[in-house]
Amino acid sequence: MSDPTTQLFDTWRRQLEESTQAWTKLVGQVSPAAAPADPMAFWRPVLNQGLEAWARMFAQTPASPDLAAQWKQFLDQWIEAWSRVLGQAMNTEGFAQMMGRSLEQMLAAQAPVKKAGEQALDQLLVSLNLASRSQLTGVAKQIVELEERMERVEDGVQAILRRLDAKERP
Amino acid sequence: MAQERFAGVVERFTSGFNGAAAAVSPEVATQWQEELDRNVRRMSNLARLSTAPEPKTGQTPRQEIYKRNKSRLYRYPSSRTHSTPILFVPNLGISRPYIFDLLPGGSFVEHMTREGFDFYLLDWGVFGPEDNDLTFEDCVVKILPRMAAKVLESSGASELTVLGYCMGAPLSASFVASHPEIPVRNFINMAGPIDFSQIGLFGLWLDRKHFDVDRFVDTLGSVPADLVKAGFKLLKPTMDLSTNLNLWWNAWNDKYVEGFTALNKWANEYVAFPGEFFRQWVRDFYQGNKLFRGELVFGGRPVRLQNIQCPVFVVGAKEDYIAPPACVRALIDAVSSREKDYVELPGGHISLIAGRGAALHCWPKVSGWLAPRSGDKS
Repeated sequence: MSDPTTQLFDTWRRQLEESTQAWTKLVGQVSPAAAPADPMAFWRPVLNQGLEAWARMFAQTPASPDLAAQWKQFLDQWIEAWSRVLGQAMNTEGFAQMMGRSLEQMLAAQAPVKKAGEQALDQLLVSLNLASRSQLTGVAKQIVELEERMERVEDGVQAILRRLDAKERP
Repeated sequence: MAQERFAGVVERFTSGFNGAAAAVSPEVATQWQEELDRNVRRMSNLARLSTAPEPKTGQTPRQEIYKRNKSRLYRYPSSRTHSTPILFVPNLGISRPYIFDLLPGGSFVEHMTREGFDFYLLDWGVFGPEDNDLTFEDCVVKILPRMAAKVLESSGASELTVLGYCMGAPLSASFVASHPEIPVRNFINMAGPIDFSQIGLFGLWLDRKHFDVDRFVDTLGSVPADLVKAGFKLLKPTMDLSTNLNLWWNAWNDKYVEGFTALNKWANEYVAFPGEFFRQWVRDFYQGNKLFRGELVFGGRPVRLQNIQCPVFVVGAKEDYIAPPACVRALIDAVSSREKDYVELPGGHISLIAGRGAALHCWPKVSGWLAPRSGDKS
């Protein structure tokens, strides 16, 4: 019963080992000259750490005949190890700087596009004799302000009524 | 090296398998059979999941008491065995508040009403570009006092309990601390950040060295829901992976699938922030930590946490990476209340308040602490 399954599992194991070797070799290549321009420089130690953390965790787990549960545990630990390592990597000044720079670039690219898009849309709507987005937003803001004013008036009336009530009481 | 460790892992996994395969006992065979059955149920549930209608959330009966612009105040009727009503203040933006009333049997609101509390939920609503000028200060000075007044008016009570969750906690703490004339009998902070110097990843990412909030808000006007989503997903990049893995693992269980569908609907519905609100939230709280330092002045009133004198209950979650326990607990030392308690419960930011763990750990703790401090309705 176990022969074809074991063969299948062995094939899977060989494939996993070979691909891991290739992958580890690939991520292990460090070129000092190209280091400043290497986009993987930040992530390479993270990947290695993740793999090591997962291997450590898995090595401490007792083997069980319940293959499905074992497989689920294997994946849980894999995710947990990566989560921990990514968490550590993201909790660094380097990552925060990188994120800040990416956001800056996004805003720098987006600001003129957004402005031009809005202007073009407004012009189109005006030419079609329709209210533009900014005009509609303006009307909505006025309604919100009106609501606030009405509430203030309502508060004032309530306060006067309460005072009158208090005066009328013996 | 990593490669050798990995080979060791594979070896260990396969030898476990080989050992089991060599001697299949009847127990193991039964186990495999069960697993096969589960797989069949998994497949049928997953197939149903893709065509299932949207789950019905927020089913606890409620009445709308008051509305202001996008915000609504809802009252959930109860047997009302306690006279002091609760004003529940959740986060503004980020997500919708139906997480607190997700499904019958799995709802914080339902639990509190069953325990006899007169429960009011403030739903901040979904803001549009016309609300971009709304600030944190407006919420504290204009909206919350009115909501509190409406709660007192509707319940006929002379005092109320204020319960803040997540961002709702600093919002309501600022309100309670700056409005001594509002008769607040108890204040509860559930997973709400107070000391932002201990806030964790978001604090680092939003540090003024790396994040220019003025440029951000001036360019975008508001914080779109997609960006809010991206920020939260980045906080825990493996979350979707483990969620889907757990779905697959538990997909044989109909009850789990039902809960998952509702929670998944909520988890993918993000809400935008009004621009000015976000500017003040980041500048004064994440970057300035002004609430904790007592440097805020809202509507001409100083906001000092030591002005809070009523009984205070603080609930932190052990695995909360949005509001880590230390930054939540800080409220305890900042207030001058004589009666103050802190509990740290298992779970994360969301599982503290929703799900099976919450029903087991958190909800009874909150209602249990509050009951003797809420007066009897007689």
